[in-house]
Amino acid sequence: MTAVTLKSAPLGVRSRRGTVLRVLPALLLTALALAGPWLAPEAIDAPVTAPYAEPGGDAPLGGDQLGRDVLSRVLAGGRELVVTSLLVALLVTVTAALLGAVSALRPAVGRFVERAADVLMLLPAVLGILLVTLSWPDGGRLAVVTVSVVLGVPYAVRLVAGAAAPVAASGYVEAAAVGGERLGYLVVREVLPNLRATLLALFGLRFVAAVYLVATAGFLQVGPQPPAADWALMIRENSGGILLNPWGVLAPSIGIGLLAMSVNLAAAALVPATGRKAVPAL
Amino acid sequence: MAGSLIPATRPEPAGDSLKRPRPVPAVARAALRLAGVLARRALLLAVLLAFVFAAVELLPGDAANATSERGESAADIAERRQLLGLDRPVLERFWEWMTGLPTGDLGTSARGESVADLLSRPFPNTLLLGGLALLLTLVASVALGCWAAAKPGGMVDRSVSASATGVLALPEFVVAVALVLVFALWTDWLPAVTLTDADGSPASWEMLVLPVLALAIPQIGWNTRIVRAALDDEVKAPHIETAVLDGLPRHRIFTHHLLPGALPTIAAGLATSTGMLLGGAVVVETIFNYPGIGAVLAGAVADRDSPLIAGVVAVTGVVITGVLLLADLVRAWASGGRT
Repeated sequence: MTAVTLKSAPLGVRSRRGTVLRVLPALLLTALALAGPWLAPEAIDAPVTAPYAEPGGDAPLGGDQLGRDVLSRVLAGGRELVVTSLLVALLVTVTAALLGAVSALRPAVGRFVERAADVLMLLPAVLGILLVTLSWPDGGRLAVVTVSVVLGVPYAVRLVAGAAAPVAASGYVEAAAVGGERLGYLVVREVLPNLRATLLALFGLRFVAAVYLVATAGFLQVGPQPPAADWALMIRENSGGILLNPWGVLAPSIGIGLLAMSVNLAAAALVPATGRKAVPAL
Repeated sequence: MAGSLIPATRPEPAGDSLKRPRPVPAVARAALRLAGVLARRALLLAVLLAFVFAAVELLPGDAANATSERGESAADIAERRQLLGLDRPVLERFWEWMTGLPTGDLGTSARGESVADLLSRPFPNTLLLGGLALLLTLVASVALGCWAAAKPGGMVDRSVSASATGVLALPEFVVAVALVLVFALWTDWLPAVTLTDADGSPASWEMLVLPVLALAIPQIGWNTRIVRAALDDEVKAPHIETAVLDGLPRHRIFTHHLLPGALPTIAAGLATSTGMLLGGAVVVETIFNYPGIGAVLAGAVADRDSPLIAGVVAVTGVVITGVLLLADLVRAWASGGRT
């Protein structure tokens, strides 16, 4: 998925405390999703009530299509989504940071990455996931992670390369290059340390994109398989009983919705206020 | 995505004045440029198709294995592999697949049916769904973007920007679930599932409302931000300042100076949305039981039918290429007057 570089308050208006307030919900929600499986009161794979039972008694949010406790499954179902998405975001950010810095220093690499992004633009990410997971039936989570990373890197490299270009052209980098420093040294010691804010924001935006893709893969049943408790899978499985117990669908939807929105707002707050562009940058 | 568009201006070759070539007529120059854009887009599409074929071929799955049934002997699978032509050299099949595409031959599904036949009925339905969603996205995001830009920093601006940021990250199926709950189950205003006519199209327009909304809402969020940002940049352009100093009425500046300038960026944003809409359609169709390619792909997931999805990706790639080409032309046309 793509996201817009932000147009927001003028330079200097945004305070440090404001940024913290906008990042906090995402951190809390992520922590809750990670700790969720330990908080679940019931087993996620054993029926405790009637199928699609209404909320009450042992099951505060009712039962799912097999009578399993919806609350427990919702608490347990976020961790895999969050861990997989964090993994994708981390891999994309690290790869894009290295490639982006290299393409700012070596324009030939930059052109190649640009062409790759042009090609991938013709492939909707959801179809890309389906294509790879179907052609690689035993790939499982590895397939989802791999294709999410491959589809995400070109756009992310563009953002990093754009931010790295002025740094690469600055006097001290040129001086180091003339002084005979190797490419690896220039990338890791000279260019990347100056892009910390950009990389942090990029990580947030790629996390949002990854949540979208990993959740959609789960919904299309090419990610986690039953009886796993997974928010996207729960929505798919319980939609048949939406009239009997809407919470089976509503609770995991709220989980994904809140996660996507809060992380997106956090990433938006982290985008550095300088060097913004009107055109979407990744 | 600015990088995918043709540069507005190309530097003139710095030739020796004595050897300066004869001036090329403007029409011929435009035609050459158009041909160049077309060739570039066609090449990108061909690379994508090669990538798709390679993904299907090189990854460890195999259509003959995927459709195997319990108790089937290795000989049966080998026979079906031969029937599907999977035992021939990869390059030969690649050449056959690629040369078949322009004639509308998308290959054979894992079950031995023609992919083109499987897609010919549902694909127009998906195009209708995606096209309506794109239209709604265009109208809503331009309207919201302009409304927000009219008073920068005001209440409207802040609430539009905040809600746009909120919805642009939501997966379509989450939006769809919320819409079904509110409009189908609690208020009973709109149908939650799509029923089809005898010819396989949706039975009434009401059944299109919720799927179109579910698809369009995240894209409206994304494009509203682009429209807003493009207008913001355009306001800073010198010709707008001139227009304001000339005392032109506000609405005239908006429609005659601001919007045309922001048009290329808006077109590029919408072109990017096309891919998201077609991808999201797969998900939304599953929820609303809409008779499009989503239903076909849901079956393909069960069958592990990778040739079928390769066909869908090929057709989708063609559609997106067309939309990007349109955005290129809008950009060339919009910048043509000024450069």
